[in-house]
Amino acid sequence: MALVELSSVTYTYPTTDKPALKDINLKVEQGEFLAIVGSNEAGKSTLCYTISGFIPHFFHGDLVGEVQVAGLNLEESKLNEWVLNVGLVFQNPFNQISGSKFTVFEEIAFGLENLGVKRSEMIERVERAMELTGISDLADRSPYSLSGGQQQKVALTSILVMEPQVFVLDEPTSQLDPIGAREVFEVIKEMSRAGITVIMAEHKIEWVAEFADRVIAMHDGQIIIEGSPQEVLTSPLLPEHGIGTSRYTQAAKQARTEGLFSETTPLPVTLDQAVAGFSGGNHED
Amino acid sequence: MHQKLSFYVDRDSFLHHLNPLTKLTLVLTLVILSFLGLSYWLPTIIFLFIIIPLSFLGKVAQEFFNATVKLLLPVVGFLFVMQAFFHPDGTQVIFSIWIFDVTVESLSFAYLTASRILTMVASFLILLLTTHPSDLMSDLTRRGVSGNLSYVITSTLQIIPQMQVKAGTIIDAQQSRGLETTGNVFNRVKAVVPLVGPLVFGSLVEVEERAIAIEARAFTAPLKKTSLREIPDRAAERAARWIFIGVIIIAIGLRIWLL
Ligand SMILES: Nc1ncnc2c1ncn2[C@@H]1O[C@H](COP(=O)(O)OP(=O)(O)OP(=O)(O)O)[C@@H](O)[C@H]1O
Ligand SMILES: [Mg+2]
Repeated sequence: MALVELSSVTYTYPTTDKPALKDINLKVEQGEFLAIVGSNEAGKSTLCYTISGFIPHFFHGDLVGEVQVAGLNLEESKLNEWVLNVGLVFQNPFNQISGSKFTVFEEIAFGLENLGVKRSEMIERVERAMELTGISDLADRSPYSLSGGQQQKVALTSILVMEPQVFVLDEPTSQLDPIGAREVFEVIKEMSRAGITVIMAEHKIEWVAEFADRVIAMHDGQIIIEGSPQEVLTSPLLPEHGIGTSRYTQAAKQARTEGLFSETTPLPVTLDQAVAGFSGGNHED
Repeated sequence: MHQKLSFYVDRDSFLHHLNPLTKLTLVLTLVILSFLGLSYWLPTIIFLFIIIPLSFLGKVAQEFFNATVKLLLPVVGFLFVMQAFFHPDGTQVIFSIWIFDVTVESLSFAYLTASRILTMVASFLILLLTTHPSDLMSDLTRRGVSGNLSYVITSTLQIIPQMQVKAGTIIDAQQSRGLETTGNVFNRVKAVVPLVGPLVFGSLVEVEERAIAIEARAFTAPLKKTSLREIPDRAAERAARWIFIGVIIIAIGLRIWLL
């Protein structure tokens, strides 16, 4: 059985009549990296909140269908049990600081204190998590004295240390400067390499192409296409629904109209594929 | 960029190594003794012969005197003057200004109030100077004080640095949109006005996100919380706390009996 499974999920926020998610079916396997792309208001955040249990337990509203993680059923579980299996990191790093801790080390330990983890084990786990995300040197700093990128890495580490089965990330870099964003992405890649299941909403297509095992594209509360990054990100459905495409795909498409990119070579989504595709095209001429 | 987040001064002293609850009990004992009115000079004696020596024992005498002179004395002084002039009854007039009389009674009452306030605030100051705020909170939570209450108290202690960081971000954003935030007084005032909106209304969305964030960190997990910081507690300290409580009970008893 898949680690995460959504069957015919439709959800409507309490203040609206129009569903924000419509008949979503989705499976995510253990260790997989799934990316969610989509136009504005497509329902990416709503899907993230659903998998992480805040819908329906925090936002309430009307949830139809079934959400399961690790064999547990969302509606039969309590939120404070659910969060132990599914960790959530969202856009604004500042709002994810607990606000009651004085150093980064204490901030990261906050979740473990709440779980009643023994002190010696707590220290060990915090140190290990900080090492994995590369922020050991921030341990004694105040969470408030950090840059956005550093704060977001602290937020990631604070969830990582609790060892959830699934990591849900809602556009974790959208409010960061390019350098901070790149650094946070490297950390996420590192976590994925370490075998953690990641579900991430993201609009930077080039990065999705580079990281994800599988991609779903959403529009108006529905999944419009699902498959490998190559399949999904080069699909004509994306531009039709106002979803951006990779600059490498765009360049290759443009080049095709001029006869500079082979019609038979699949459209590239990453830089490497583009380089390979373009050099192949030149040989044919 | 390092901000001062609390009064706490990180030193290695006898007081620093005491359990937070022991210090809190001592402070409460001193405050109750000062306010019970067992003896007119008691608050003064406590201040001079207990609190000042404690500041040396805690190796925070310099910080203690600084805070007392700069913060405490002006407030207590103001209080003293107000009481001296406006205390209603009193017959032995010492001198008058316009319709206000300073009498022996008002002066003595003003001194008593001022010495009580001084002793109370100074006692708490010693506690705050020698106790890491997280320790106080963790220790109280461990003893069954609600986690929510502890969270509210510690996060309140952090509100000022939070506001500073947020205001800084908003100022940066406004400067990058061409708003003058430096220079003459007029410019500065003009710059503060558009700051108020985001600072206050921004909070509503933030409160929701903060709630989600701490929930995601298992804040409401139905488990017994543990603490990262190791908080000492010795049998001798437990005994000392019972002695303090004994002192409080005896003092209250005396007060009732003497009345
Ligand atoms: N708290 C809420 N209450 C009511 N409606 C909401 C709420 N949050 C989102 N919506 C609505 O649900 C729909 C999906 O929004 P959602 O935020 O999930 O989209 P998104 O794909 O994350 O968009 P974005 O690219 O802006 O992040 C939108 O129509 C939005 O207006
Ligand atoms: Mg969103």
